[in-house]
Amino acid sequence: MAVSDLAHASKTGVSARGGHVDIARLSVLALVVALSLLPLLAGGFLLYSLSLCFANALAVLSVSMLVRYGGEVSIGHSFFVAFGAYAVAIVEHRLGLSIAASLPLATLLGAAAGFVFAFPSRRLSGIYLAVATMALALALPEILIGFEKFTGGFEGLYIAQDLIPGIPKALQRYYVALAVLGLVCLALAHFRRSAQGLALLMAQAQPRAAEAIGITRSWARVSIFTLSAAVAALAGALTGFASSTVSPNSFTFFSGVFLLVGSVVSLNGLSLPAALVGGAFITLVPTYLAQAGDWVPILYGVALVVVTLVANAGDLRRFLPRGRGR
Amino acid sequence: MTVPAGSNGLVAEGISLAFGGLQVLNDVSMTLRPGVITGLIGPNGAGKTSLFNCLTGLYHGQRGRSSFAGTPLNGLGPAQRAACGITRSFQNLAMCPDLSLLENVLVGLTLKRRSGWFSAFVPTPAQRAEQRDAERRAMAALNELGIGSAAHEKPSDLPPGTLRLAEIARAITSEPTAILLDEPAAGLNAVETRDLTRALKRLMRSDLVLLVVEHDMDLIMELCEHIYVLNFGSMIASGTPAEIRAHPDVIRVYLGDDADA
Repeated sequence: MAVSDLAHASKTGVSARGGHVDIARLSVLALVVALSLLPLLAGGFLLYSLSLCFANALAVLSVSMLVRYGGEVSIGHSFFVAFGAYAVAIVEHRLGLSIAASLPLATLLGAAAGFVFAFPSRRLSGIYLAVATMALALALPEILIGFEKFTGGFEGLYIAQDLIPGIPKALQRYYVALAVLGLVCLALAHFRRSAQGLALLMAQAQPRAAEAIGITRSWARVSIFTLSAAVAALAGALTGFASSTVSPNSFTFFSGVFLLVGSVVSLNGLSLPAALVGGAFITLVPTYLAQAGDWVPILYGVALVVVTLVANAGDLRRFLPRGRGR
Repeated sequence: MTVPAGSNGLVAEGISLAFGGLQVLNDVSMTLRPGVITGLIGPNGAGKTSLFNCLTGLYHGQRGRSSFAGTPLNGLGPAQRAACGITRSFQNLAMCPDLSLLENVLVGLTLKRRSGWFSAFVPTPAQRAEQRDAERRAMAALNELGIGSAAHEKPSDLPPGTLRLAEIARAITSEPTAILLDEPAAGLNAVETRDLTRALKRLMRSDLVLLVVEHDMDLIMELCEHIYVLNFGSMIASGTPAEIRAHPDVIRVYLGDDADA
C-alpha cells in the first residue's frame, strides 16, 4: 500500500509485473496486524511511547507530503501540529466535547491555518518559504503564552475526555493514533493516483509544462501547503490526545526542526513503514536515549548527514520499490 | 483547404517583443487557420521560440494583439490559455520522472476532470468511474501515436522519440482546439521523425489549429501546408512549401546558407 507501490495508474500493470508488489503489501499488512496485537503483550510505557510515535509519524508525513508533492521544505510545521493539539484541548475545555468532535475540527482548522499562511506566501519557494515557516515556529511559544486565557499559558491544558468511556486510556490512545495513521497512509496512496495528486507532482517536476496544461504554480503551492497543514494539525490533535496534555514546551522551534529530521530519515516516504521510521526516530530515540542527554541533537545531526549522503548517492533508493521501472 | 472567413483560428497581429534593449520580435503577424498544419521556420536566434512563447502566454509582447477564435488573448497566462483550448509541447522534454508514461499523459486531462478534493483522498464510485474514463482517454491518445505498449514504463526508461510522442499525446488527450509544438523532432532519429510526421498527419482535423516550430526543413516541407519564415525577429515570407522554396529571401537567409543553423 505504500505510495510508491502504487506508481501505476491502472491495475493492468500489477499482475504483469511480478509478485514483489504483493510482498510489499503483505509485509505492510503484517506490520499493521502486529501493531494491532501488540497491546496484548506489552503495556504501560511502551504503549504510551508508541502512541506518541504514531502521532509523530503522522506529523512527519505532513512534512514529507510537502517535500514530495510541493518540492518545498518547512521548518515550522510544529506550528500546525500545535494548532491541532490546542484545538483539541480548547474544544474540550470550552465546549466539553471529546476528540470525536475535535479531531475533524482540528483538521479543518489546520487546513484553514495552512491556507491563511500559504496564500500570501504562494510566490515563495525554497529557502525563502523555509524561512517564512521558521518565523511561524519561532512565533508560536509567544502566541501560546500571549493568548493565556485560551491556551492556559505556560502550564498549558489537560486533555482528559475519553473517546469511548470505559476502555482503558492507554488502549484508546494507542488504537486511535494507529487507526488514524493507517487511514491517512491509505488516503495518501489513493491521492497519489488522483487527478490532484498527479497535477501536483507535475507542477513540481515541470512547472512550465504544468502551466501549459492549466495547472498554475500558485494553485499547486497553496493546495499542497493547505493539505500538509491539515495533516499536521491532525497529528497535533493525536499528540495532544496521546499525551493528555498540551503546553508550549511541547512545541518549541526544535519540534519543527525534528519533524524535518524525521522526514529526511524516512526518505520523505509517504508509506506507513516510512512514516513509522520517521516517527520512531524522533520519538523513541530521545525517549530511550534520555541518559544520553546532550548527545541526542548530535546523534540527529549525524543521522541527518548520513541519510542525506546515502540517499543522494542513490544507494538506498535503488532498494525501494519505486525503482520498478527497470 | 478552404476555410470560412469567420473561423479565423489563432491570430497574432503586430507582435513586438524586446528584452531590455534587444528587439526579439518586430511587428510580427501570423494567422493559424483551423484544419491547416502551419509551420514556423527560421535560423537559430530568429525569434521562433519567442514568438511561440508569446502565442502560449509565457511572454507578453510590448505591442500587438492576439486572439483565438475571436476571443482576445492579451494578458492571459499559459494556464488561462490552456483553459481556452490551447496546448503546447516543449523543446526540452517536459515529463515528470515520478509518473509513468500513462500518468504523464493523464495529467493533460487535469482541466477536464471534475472529481473534487474529497474523492482525491477517499475513493468513491463516481471518482473511480471518472478515473477509468480518464485512463481510457489517455490510453487512446497513446495508442493513436503508436506508443500504447510503453504506457506503464517510467520516462527514464524510454527513448526520446517515445517521450516526444508522449508529449504530443498529452497535448491531444484533452481534445484541444489548438496544438502548438516547439521543435517536436529535436533529438529524434530519422525513423522516429518519420513516425512523428505520420502521427501528426493522422491527428489533423478540420477544426484543429496545429503549429509546428521546427529546424528540420524536410519535416516542415513534408508536413505543413502553410509556412511562415522568421529572420532576426521579422516575418520575411509566408506561403505554401513550394512558394517558400522559391522565395528569394528565404533562399538567401536560410536555405541558401549553410543550413546547419
